[in-house]
Amino acid sequence: MCEIIEVQSISKYFKGNESPAVKNVSFNINKNEIFGLIGPNGAGKTTIISILCGLYNPTKGTVKINGFDLFSDLSKVKHQIGIVPQDIALYPTLTGRENLEFYGAMYGIPKLELKMEIDNWLNKFEMSSSADKPVYKYSGGMKRRINLIAGILHKPDILFLDEPTVGIDVKSRSSIMFHLNKLSDIGMTIIYTSHHLEEAEKFCSDLAIINAGQIIARGAPKDLIDTYDSCENLEDLFFLLTKK
Amino acid sequence: MRQLLAAMKKELLLLIRDKIGLSILFIMPILLIIVMTLIQDAVFSNINEEGFPIIFINNDNDTLGNRVEEGLRNTQMIDYFDHINGEKATYNSAKEAIKKGEFLIGVYIPKGATETVKENVFNIVAESIGNYNDSLVVKQRDVEVKIIIDPIASKSFVLSISSILREYISSVKTRMMFETFKDEISSLLPEKPIYDSKYLNQKIISYNQEYASNLLNESAPSSVQHNLPAWTIFSLFFIVIPLVGSIMREKTEGSVFRFHIIPVSYLLQINAKVMVYISVCMLQFVLMLVIGLFLMPLLGMDRLILGDSYFSLFIIALTTSMSATAYAVLIGSLAKTQQQGSILGSLSILVLSAIGGIWVPTYIMPDTMRIISKFSPLNWSLDGFYGLFLRGEDLIDILPQTGLLVGFFILCLSLAKFINKSKQNI
Repeated sequence: MCEIIEVQSISKYFKGNESPAVKNVSFNINKNEIFGLIGPNGAGKTTIISILCGLYNPTKGTVKINGFDLFSDLSKVKHQIGIVPQDIALYPTLTGRENLEFYGAMYGIPKLELKMEIDNWLNKFEMSSSADKPVYKYSGGMKRRINLIAGILHKPDILFLDEPTVGIDVKSRSSIMFHLNKLSDIGMTIIYTSHHLEEAEKFCSDLAIINAGQIIARGAPKDLIDTYDSCENLEDLFFLLTKK
Repeated sequence: MRQLLAAMKKELLLLIRDKIGLSILFIMPILLIIVMTLIQDAVFSNINEEGFPIIFINNDNDTLGNRVEEGLRNTQMIDYFDHINGEKATYNSAKEAIKKGEFLIGVYIPKGATETVKENVFNIVAESIGNYNDSLVVKQRDVEVKIIIDPIASKSFVLSISSILREYISSVKTRMMFETFKDEISSLLPEKPIYDSKYLNQKIISYNQEYASNLLNESAPSSVQHNLPAWTIFSLFFIVIPLVGSIMREKTEGSVFRFHIIPVSYLLQINAKVMVYISVCMLQFVLMLVIGLFLMPLLGMDRLILGDSYFSLFIIALTTSMSATAYAVLIGSLAKTQQQGSILGSLSILVLSAIGGIWVPTYIMPDTMRIISKFSPLNWSLDGFYGLFLRGEDLIDILPQTGLLVGFFILCLSLAKFINKSKQNI
């Protein structure tokens, strides 16, 4: 399997904090993998995602994305990644379509192609009829769906998802998970954080449990659960390892 | 380029759909300009056209008192009164009425003032022509004309009114001296009479007030000419509120997070904001000019005189808009919350406008404040506008001001870029 992300001994210290948010973390992610990063609040999941997206520089360590050094080739890396942040990063007074047109244009997608992509994704996520309403009129699930489309319009090789299904109903969640699986099927690598352990267990092909800035377990969900006799599912494993 | 246009389109759409932001940008400045100009014009008119009330107490009832009374009655800027509640005013009743705010100023001529002036003049004349005789001449005495002032009257106003009264009383005294002189000389030289009309009505020194401006040679600058640019600059700088709001919303709603990840510089987003908001400022400016040209005359005020150099006007408006917008970007980069940004933005604009001479002219400020005012971009802009609107200057003359404004624009944007970069490198 080809490694698309190579993380070597990264640590991150924030100003004013004596203990690191991330401590000497190393891992590789294979292409086309759905990689889950799970852990309790404050474990360092969002910090790792932010470093992998080039948002923060690590205090030490190196990261390679698709063969490019994240920090010296950041502009090349940015074209290959997409992100769906935990917060709804949309303009509430713009319509869903206007938001997508704006973010698509920022990635330099040609106008005609962008229009087709937007129509295609709106249709897939059953958002076509609401696309021209302002975002502030959307339900939580509708906002999440547009938030997701904004991260995949430019067809990135790697998609970072920071709790993409938090606070939404079952229907919207299943729609999002269905399409994320489809994206994986067409070759997209997905890095995903979530507090929904059942969802992570079903969705991820590989995962890492992180606690206090360090990876404490790593492997396919089933393999990890099988390692511990007392654990029947990922939730049991999570509580056993994190004591939380 | 396409990305910049898309970012500008997004800014424009956000602005158009933000009703409160739009009202801050357009309706509030219009109201501010109309109200402030009307108020300041009313103060101006009160003094110059309608007149202010003066109570006159003439206890002299002789030449000096009567001539001052005649002068006051014939002065347009004064509403003359000598009775209070139907009774002839006395020193004490006048003082009481002024204290209550019924009159702004009182003039009191004491009993025997004319007689005393005549005696004093007689002494001077007698001494001058060598006819001095200790037994004939009484000791020199002062005539104390009292000017009673309402404490609410401003210092400058009191000073100007006192000067006018002193000048008038002095001219009456001079005339009386001349008449006494004439009588004395006539009695000494009866064969060479002196005629009143030839000398008394002759102007020896004349005063002609003119403005050092080609633009305003023939008419005095109106309150519109003074106030409209000042309040327009103030309004342009108040773009800080909606622009900081826009920057802070992007920070709190997570869009900035995406901007740092998409392959376009965050500076492009900032540039798009700057361009859109500069255009909005220019639109505001045009609106203010329209108000000055068409609405102010309908409200009974003078019409704004634009001068000859429209291009210079465009340049000073553009550089002011650039400064205001860049300052807003700097505040938006510094602030951590929307509240912090709004308070910091609005208060700093109030301070910069106060020290910049928007509220009160810099020439009446103390020396230290006058030096400090030179550091306010609103002062540079105001100086530039006054150059064009009042002094009839052109582009070359206002280059120092426009240069400073461009420098301020570059400084603010550079600082904002530095702050954003250092915030990212946490």
